[in-house]
Amino acid sequence: MLSRRDFLTISGRAGLTTLVASAVGINLGLVQVGRAATSSKVTPFRFAILTDAHLFSMPDHKFDVFLASAVDQVNKTTPLPDFVMYLGDIAQNGRADQLDKGKRILSKLTMPLHFIPGEHDWYLDMGEAWRGHFGKPTWSFDHKGVHFIGMNSILVRDFWTAAGMTPKQRMDTMEMLESPICGPWGVREEQLEWLKNDVKKLGAETPVVVFTHSPLWDYYPRWNFQTEDAPQIREILGKFERFMSFHGHVHQTVYNKIGNMSSVGTLSTSWPWPYPDVPLPYPDMRMNRSDPALVMDGLGGQHIDLEANFQGTMHYDPFGDMLKPAIKSGFKV
Amino acid sequence: MKFSNRDRFLAGLVAVSSLGALGALGLLAVQATSAHEPYTKEELASQEKELLAAVDHGRDLWHGSNPSMSSNGLACGNCHPDAAASNPQTFPKWQADLGRVIALRDMINWCITTPQAGKPLDVNSYDMISMEAYAFYLYRGKQISPGLATEQTSPVVIKSGPGYPKKPSGIGVDK
Repeated sequence: MLSRRDFLTISGRAGLTTLVASAVGINLGLVQVGRAATSSKVTPFRFAILTDAHLFSMPDHKFDVFLASAVDQVNKTTPLPDFVMYLGDIAQNGRADQLDKGKRILSKLTMPLHFIPGEHDWYLDMGEAWRGHFGKPTWSFDHKGVHFIGMNSILVRDFWTAAGMTPKQRMDTMEMLESPICGPWGVREEQLEWLKNDVKKLGAETPVVVFTHSPLWDYYPRWNFQTEDAPQIREILGKFERFMSFHGHVHQTVYNKIGNMSSVGTLSTSWPWPYPDVPLPYPDMRMNRSDPALVMDGLGGQHIDLEANFQGTMHYDPFGDMLKPAIKSGFKV
Repeated sequence: MKFSNRDRFLAGLVAVSSLGALGALGLLAVQATSAHEPYTKEELASQEKELLAAVDHGRDLWHGSNPSMSSNGLACGNCHPDAAASNPQTFPKWQADLGRVIALRDMINWCITTPQAGKPLDVNSYDMISMEAYAFYLYRGKQISPGLATEQTSPVVIKSGPGYPKKPSGIGVDK
């Protein structure tokens, strides 16, 4: 029979805590789900993530205020993040004025910004306005020993040409989360080739962080809580000791690990999505159900602290009190 | 007490008249649709068609087809894709913001007027019945359980859409 000390030792191993806590119905506080550190050296730093503002064109819309609040929150973080990553869906209807408004609100951030697109930014003009505002959707850069990668994961097969759709009809179709028409998203061949080349010369010990709008695992395909070619992405990045994936789109807290990847979902600044009716590997990571009478409930931003050994601590920064105890004080990724 | 012949005559007249009226009503009812089993295949198909027409209309309204339901661009589907977390099977229930027990239609109108800042639907309208038809249709098979919704629930998964698996494949499993 296990002593309490033995039990805690076993359950404290990476990845087991949440499962055990869930199985026996207890909560052990800070969840240790991180993996073994890589041998690479990182100069510790912090970065923040904002995403899914879904700005409308009306002036003084409540979502403008929510995004501005998140910007204020990031600017008051101590210590300040080195940069802010924006994970897509600045606009609701892909309009240039919405992207422009988002860029204007985000310009109040006091640190550098990086962007990738979401489907709401893209399908009115196939990303033309987005690229005009934010540049290339596929990129990488190195920062303090970490290799950061951004990719456009919302590319679908052409459903509009044969159907004779107008750009607005195409956008409307993509805006509906449960649209039966658009099919699954992915990064597609060109970006997969780019990714292969991008990481070709990097050693296995290199700390890698990947940003995409949609999760790099098969969470709930009907709502495109997936990326169709995620298996190929994970295979290309399989050469690394470990890598972290951060994604938008789900408007909720969610965590998973597959192979050498840890995957973290993020809070939006527009509305929270409900959890789809599928079991989750880390159910304690779910946030509480939001109260629609509290206009900013279920929303917020997040920041990540990376340590010297490429251990990361994920902190959700909700506007209101909506985190379960397991993730309230942050968790290892 | 004894009835006179006149009384019996008058009672007979009333009875005959009533039967006539009932007969006329019965004929009218048969002309609309029979409420008696067995139904013909055609009758069942017609009923299903009418139900699904209401569900379809409700789905369109749910996704913003009526501009008067929102002044800020938001539709029901923004927060409730596939009617998820609308939990129609838990109504009637206490609604904290209104401070009373409400039906689903009251909740629908609360969402229209509050987060969506739109004009409420007439609770007796075909639009409202269609909204309810859509939500309940997606939750068909779920246990009716009036009370408090302490967990988010999602509807029965719909088997539609090119490229989607018939069922969600679950945790970390790529097809």
